[in-house]
Amino acid sequence: MASRAPYPGSIGDQLAKFRLIPRLETYPKVVTFAQTATGKIIILAAFTLGLRFFQPDLFSSLPLIFIFALITFMPEYRRLALAVAPLSFVMLQSFLQPLFLGLYLAVIALGILLYWCVMRWPKSLFGQRPVAFLLGGFSALIILACAVAPHSMPNSILWNLVGLMAGYVWFIGYALMDRGSKPSTDLTLELASFRPLWGSTSVPYPKGAAYLRRIEAQTPEQLAIVQLKGLKLLLWAILLAVFQVFWNQFFHDYLRIPLLNQALAMSVRGTPVAWQLRWECQILAFFESILTLSIFGHRIIACCRMAGYNALRNTYRPLSATTLIEFFNRFYYYFKELLVDFFFYPAFFRYWKNHRRVRVAFATVAAAFFGNAFYHFARDWQIIRDNGLWTAINSYQTFLFYCLVLATALSLSQMRKRGPRPGGLVRGHILPALGVWIFYCLLNIFVTNERGYSLVEHLRYLASLFFIQF
Amino acid sequence: MQGLLTNYGDDEPFENGDSLLLSGRLQSIDVVEIVMFLEQTYGVDFAQIGFDKECIDSIDAIYALTQATKKVN
Repeated sequence: MASRAPYPGSIGDQLAKFRLIPRLETYPKVVTFAQTATGKIIILAAFTLGLRFFQPDLFSSLPLIFIFALITFMPEYRRLALAVAPLSFVMLQSFLQPLFLGLYLAVIALGILLYWCVMRWPKSLFGQRPVAFLLGGFSALIILACAVAPHSMPNSILWNLVGLMAGYVWFIGYALMDRGSKPSTDLTLELASFRPLWGSTSVPYPKGAAYLRRIEAQTPEQLAIVQLKGLKLLLWAILLAVFQVFWNQFFHDYLRIPLLNQALAMSVRGTPVAWQLRWECQILAFFESILTLSIFGHRIIACCRMAGYNALRNTYRPLSATTLIEFFNRFYYYFKELLVDFFFYPAFFRYWKNHRRVRVAFATVAAAFFGNAFYHFARDWQIIRDNGLWTAINSYQTFLFYCLVLATALSLSQMRKRGPRPGGLVRGHILPALGVWIFYCLLNIFVTNERGYSLVEHLRYLASLFFIQF
Repeated sequence: MQGLLTNYGDDEPFENGDSLLLSGRLQSIDVVEIVMFLEQTYGVDFAQIGFDKECIDSIDAIYALTQATKKVN
């Protein structure tokens, strides 16, 4: 995401330009050195040491570094290496689990088959709406798994399949959406984008093969620049992780401020913590969620950049956002992109074309409410397996409420008349940003993942912050 | 495009071929503005032709899209 100083010479401008880690990729001599064999080895060694910070031991990251070294010295094999390596690693780790391995290969094969079908028959019903078919088919698979008798072999196979599909469905979805990209991506890059080597969650980091093709380093100089940026980002992740350790020690160990879910649990049990402690843990939880996601995302994107792909950061200065929609974009960029690509755009391009505001609101609700809820419900498939479909849906009431409030707020944020920001640091930045922080800070109550507590209990907790009892 | 960039306080110049969306200078919400402008002014129907951010990522890409739409219409 772009970083642009709005007021040249102002404090905000100086803060925007400040860099704790120098912008090595902008120094020509450093870039030139990074293209030499010695420079490449130094970058790889430094990256290995950096990764060690997040791994239990040095050997854990060696397979990854080996692939990065292959890509660095033989970039022409990048796509092949990235396509084959993850498959190989999974097969090596799972060869004693034939059922899992078989289902894993079946899911990969399904993804390739669906990609081939959409390219072969683009005008068919499936070719016109491949993602709808994919998500509908995945939903049907979950329902089928719920219907099959528990503790049986078919039940076990189906739930294993659901679990694997849950991990790959969005990657396959991006591959299906790539049918429209020009030129069409090749199969090796599509395979490379399925749970890529640099890591991911169910959310593709960073999106699909068409996006990877656009951000791929094409020359030795571009590769050197991207890898320097990756190294810097990994270093930044380490600094944040160290900061997080001190943060936790100071606030939670020394000052003994509880975590948000601890405070919520005590409130539900009828032994609430003091009012000011509730506010303190609420505020801390907001900043901690940003910190945790930043560390996690930066590590993955750093590895992605080491592989030669100049991906945008997943979290980029969310605290500088002055609107709700901007914060949502900056906080978890690739999840926002997933919601936009899979839910917002399909709704936006098809419905309410003659009613601008309704069109935008409808598409936003489709993404931030329906898409958001669907994604998390499917991601947490174990809850459905362990508790049954209806119990799982019921346990989601708090998260559904969160999605509803978020979607409403984002719709209103988008529909507000946009124009240049008001002048001044306070009116133009601080006050709007503060408003955004307060909204997301309070909304955090509803994403504590405490499915054992009802929505009413969460609302009661929120009300208690304002001395309201019910 | 310049108007959309100004909303972010971005006054840096850009060339016709510069990436504005995929580079991150503009966001997904800005796609909405661009799409609605193209639909109303040039009659582009993205539901028919399919949507790819790359086709509106730069001034040159938008120009090519409008020319292609004119030929079809």
